[in-house]
Amino acid sequence: MLRVIKPRNARSKRAMEAREPKEVEDPRTVIFVKGTHTGETLNAVFKDLMALKRPHGIGFNKKNPIHPFDPSTPGSSSSSSVSSLEFWSAKNDASMFVVGQTTKKRPNGMTFVRMFNGRVLDMIEVGVEGYKAMSEFKTPKSTPGNKPLLHFASDLFDTHPRFIHLKSMLLDFFNGEEVDSISLLGLEHVISISVGPTPASLNDATSTNLLSSSTAESTHANPLAAVASASFIESSSPSAATAALPKVHIRTYTTKFLASGVRTPRVELVPMGPSLDLALRRFQPPDADLLKQAMRRPKLKKADVESGLGKKRKNVELDEMGDLRGRVHVGKQDLSKLKGRKMKGLQEERPRKKQRSDEEDDEEEDEE
Amino acid sequence: MDVSSILEAQKAKLQSVLVEKETPLEVDAGHLMVCDINPIDEESYNENLEDHLQNLARDGIQVLIGNLFSLPITKSPDGPLAQLPTSVYQLPRAKPLPKPKPPTKWESFAAAKGISHRTRDRKEWDEERQEWVNRWGKDGRNKQAEEQWLTPVPHNADADYNPQLVARKERKERTAKNEKQRLANIARASGTSASSSRKDEIDRTLATTRTSTASLGRFDKKLEGEKKLRGVKRKFEPTEISTANEQKANLNLIARMDSDARKMRKDPRAEEPVLNARKAIRSASKGKGSAALAGASGRNSSKGKGGKGRR
Repeated sequence: MLRVIKPRNARSKRAMEAREPKEVEDPRTVIFVKGTHTGETLNAVFKDLMALKRPHGIGFNKKNPIHPFDPSTPGSSSSSSVSSLEFWSAKNDASMFVVGQTTKKRPNGMTFVRMFNGRVLDMIEVGVEGYKAMSEFKTPKSTPGNKPLLHFASDLFDTHPRFIHLKSMLLDFFNGEEVDSISLLGLEHVISISVGPTPASLNDATSTNLLSSSTAESTHANPLAAVASASFIESSSPSAATAALPKVHIRTYTTKFLASGVRTPRVELVPMGPSLDLALRRFQPPDADLLKQAMRRPKLKKADVESGLGKKRKNVELDEMGDLRGRVHVGKQDLSKLKGRKMKGLQEERPRKKQRSDEEDDEEEDEE
Repeated sequence: MDVSSILEAQKAKLQSVLVEKETPLEVDAGHLMVCDINPIDEESYNENLEDHLQNLARDGIQVLIGNLFSLPITKSPDGPLAQLPTSVYQLPRAKPLPKPKPPTKWESFAAAKGISHRTRDRKEWDEERQEWVNRWGKDGRNKQAEEQWLTPVPHNADADYNPQLVARKERKERTAKNEKQRLANIARASGTSASSSRKDEIDRTLATTRTSTASLGRFDKKLEGEKKLRGVKRKFEPTEISTANEQKANLNLIARMDSDARKMRKDPRAEEPVLNARKAIRSASKGKGSAALAGASGRNSSKGKGGKGRR
């Protein structure tokens, strides 16, 4: 664990404050770690991914004996690889890692590791099976640090837990700063992530036992919860199941806007590179408790709620004069307790006193 | 007037921008993301992969761009800015939510009384100098009483009354009071009151002094009502504990043993010589070091009686 340092001057104090948790977070800083052996391909992939991730990427030049998926030793609570990752995360204020490792069994493996609060949240290992570098495309490139347009294409990204997990991870990886407005001229490049055709075996599986319980709406708001809770069929026979999964294609394009005669331009895409074909390998779903903490949202400010942010604004509208008008539902009126005009004839009969005789009552009624 | 041709033209224009799919694409403008949940067409995938992927991406991005261009727009020097809605797809946070700051004593009082916060400018208008001056700090207004050339002195003042010094003392006291309140706020926020921790400290000091005499306090005079000094009671673990706890404790021990090889004397340590050369040299040379020792011996051998004081 790192020492807790008390800042001694204003500069270090500002630096420490910049690292404190914020309501709206900075984009994730990604550290690219080379394992004990990374081949030429992985080195080139890292270089290109860093170029896409710039300025929020840190590259480690030296090799590190990191095996994130190795089981933890019984003596300690976490494996040494995981503890190294946690150390680096704290040291560099980074919350995501890409670990590269190529072995005979798993050639060109890349592991995406996501952290929460200095601890490992989840991991996904992918193998790079096809790769074309950015330099091989002789086309214009996007500006570094530009926010990409993201495109996910496959039904699996909504149904299969492995792909839901991958989507969340890649979205977190490529997604830049959280912004509330964007320049329409600055929509420069596109990252498209698509999957090969769904094999028939998977089609049945997805329809029967995967995520059948969770509704579509809940998966949309908190997709990872389904991943954490879904009981994986892969866990019993991991190799067979991953072999059946289709490949993932990552392509990057720059956009070209053509005049269409209407407000929206016609979009054409020009390949920019890099292009990657990935195969899913090992993975570690997020721990349910940790995920629950990670998915907590800040309470909306009053002004934001009034402007209708976050929630559907009901029964409130601005009229033509710019005044806020609300409609209030007052509930159903209980007419039985309604007090009307008092008239003797409409009054309920009072319980009769025992002292009085029947005759007297008759007389009274006559008077009325 | 025949407008059908104009309508046709407009339709044709729209055609180039429209994308038709079986299931409409889901756009999450907050993340600039579009999701296409239509199944992949196997034929075109196998035929020409790159073209298939590019067409797929183009269609998706066309829908996304259409959505972005229809968002409310504000003008800026860099071009039109589209106001993005909040994102629907939720990603896990990297750090936990920030904890709310505990209110200071003044803040809680102000909240109870309904006093609203007012920021005070750092600068103040000086009528005499006709310029803005610092409220505090360099050439601060709060030092005016100390620096002015003429100061009224009260009638009953002492002979050595120094108005500058008095003003300075008052200012310093205000600063000290503020600092004290700041520390008290921190202490309150951390949950320990300053007085209780001070009491503990005094108790500890008292206990130390009581046993600091030669007789360890046995023959000291006792005050009335003075309590007997109590030592720390030793506590032992119960002999029978649950296996889970025992296992945890043992694993903890092993983990600690792993952590420090030197403390656990795992490796045979290098033999430390009986004679500490550094200390010996220091003592022999009277703290002047080995060079002085060598020089002295050389001179002694050549000259016999040293030229003391003739260096």
